[in-house]
Amino acid sequence: MNRLVTVAEMTLRELLRRRGVLLLLLLMPLTFYLIRRDSYLGQSVRSLLLGVGWAVSTAALFATTAARELEPRLRLAGYRPHHLYLGRMLGLWTVGLVISVPFFLLPWVDGADLRYEGLAAALLCAVGVAAPFGMLIGALLPRELEGTLLLLTVVTVQMLIDPAGSGARLTPFWSTREIATWSVDHTDGGYLARGVLHGIVVTALLALGVAAVASVRLRRRRHLRHLPVG
Amino acid sequence: MNSDDWLRALTAELHQRRVAADAARHVVAEAATHLREGGGDPWVVFGPPQQYAGAIVESIGTAPGPRPGPVRLHAQGITKRYGRQTVLRDATLTVRAGQIAAVVGANGCGKSTFLRICAGLISPDAGEVAVSGRLGYCPQSGGTADFLLPDEHFVLVGAGQGVARGPARRAGRAAARQLGWEAGGATQARHLSGGTRQKLNLTMSALSNPDVLLLDEPYQGFDQGTYLNFWDQLGRLRDAGTAIVVVTHLLNQLDRVDTVLDLTPAQQTGWHAPGVQGGRP
Amino acid sequence: MESDRRGQWLRGVLDICVLALLAERESYGYQLAQALDAAGVGPIQGGTLYPVLLRLQKIGLVTAQWREGTAGPARKYYRLTDDGHAALRQGGSAWLTFVRPVNDIVTKGVAR
Repeated sequence: MNRLVTVAEMTLRELLRRRGVLLLLLLMPLTFYLIRRDSYLGQSVRSLLLGVGWAVSTAALFATTAARELEPRLRLAGYRPHHLYLGRMLGLWTVGLVISVPFFLLPWVDGADLRYEGLAAALLCAVGVAAPFGMLIGALLPRELEGTLLLLTVVTVQMLIDPAGSGARLTPFWSTREIATWSVDHTDGGYLARGVLHGIVVTALLALGVAAVASVRLRRRRHLRHLPVG
Repeated sequence: MNSDDWLRALTAELHQRRVAADAARHVVAEAATHLREGGGDPWVVFGPPQQYAGAIVESIGTAPGPRPGPVRLHAQGITKRYGRQTVLRDATLTVRAGQIAAVVGANGCGKSTFLRICAGLISPDAGEVAVSGRLGYCPQSGGTADFLLPDEHFVLVGAGQGVARGPARRAGRAAARQLGWEAGGATQARHLSGGTRQKLNLTMSALSNPDVLLLDEPYQGFDQGTYLNFWDQLGRLRDAGTAIVVVTHLLNQLDRVDTVLDLTPAQQTGWHAPGVQGGRP
Repeated sequence: MESDRRGQWLRGVLDICVLALLAERESYGYQLAQALDAAGVGPIQGGTLYPVLLRLQKIGLVTAQWREGTAGPARKYYRLTDDGHAALRQGGSAWLTFVRPVNDIVTKGVAR
């Protein structure tokens, strides 16, 4: 438990010290929101949520890439793989929740007529999905640049795809989109239920993916036998 | 350099040459007495500290090294290929507790690969490694977190062993001091100089009190003083029973190590070094 | 050149000189150096003398003991052992056997 918390704490500290990156990440959802502000509120809330998802997954990507060299050493120092990826995920979720707060308040200050419990649920889904999503991309792609480009592609697809189409359900942030519709357009509860379920399933699947990659990468190698000190 | 400095230098030289601690104390005390009674410049009366220490070693020899302990690391028949290129062929190394092994060889002969295989970071194509006890590994570079303070690195490594924050920080700072570095500052790792970051790297690898310590040319960016501190530190760890493997290309350090593994490939590729070609003129 | 040659001679015979001086009475490094100088052998530096003493101690020809002097710092006193006496007799007579003909030859040559 202590190991988990320590990794989470250090992830948090690292991210909070990347002030430039953090600022740019906060700027993105804000601009997304403001650009669409004049035309249609629903669109600007959706953009905002997408922006949060993007911001958190980019932070997750950076954190994962930065820890690539360090993790094998921590493994040798007595950490198990799950301490490392779960701890990191915990730290990222915390960061995500913290940066979600201003974006929850933004439409409220703006006087938007929303189901705010829906906005909260959508933010939770965005953050929940984004952390393991960014971590998985960071684990699979060796460099930050490639990861960032892939994230950008995913977010763009997410923005342009028809949410009612069958392919849309395969995109990671479909849940936030469904819940946002429920929140903005006051549609029936099916949107909320579908969205929450999708969010939970996708988060779980992505977390499993991260666990799988980490367990393989940080596995005990077969050629190495550990003997007790005799 | 006054007499005290000279005597200090002599002490260090004797220690480095592994003259038994007891005998070394007598030699230094006797020289001090002589200088006090007769005066004179120690550089004239006794000569340079290195030279005098050398003469002492010739007269009384060095301490028999502590008897090497049980085998801590045994790497057997390690072979590694990248594509069609074989970087390691059947490399074998045994290191006991209280020994330093040097892994040497030309650039690109697989020294780092060998060490990473021993650390279990990558898999070989053939061969086995048996390790007794805990492993510590210090990479050539990287392996630190850019945005964390040295203290936070110590806490992070310590938590892996269940060490509380306070003791972990203290242990880290104490180990850093052995390398002549005060690690308590508020400088993030990315702002440390290359040499200091390597000190952090090295401190981290030794912090978990490993039984087997694997060091991949950890001294890059060290100045002369730190470099000497580094070898002293290795000597202390060895005397405390750690089995140490250090990758190095500096052959002048080989007198301080107990075993050498030369990974330079045997000349079977048709290439011959100038001067050792086959045949007679 | 001259001091170089003297150094070479001394290297061969210093241990016998030290044994001979210690046969008279036990002594310490600085006193031995002074005695050798006073006898006319010339100044002996610590860097030359102590390694010889340590070697003699190591092979058991002398023993050593730290003692507080009446004034001044503690000194390491060396004393000849029985083996040391034997080594002195043997080495000393070998030296004398060697220098006698050398002296004869050199004396004749210089006188001519």
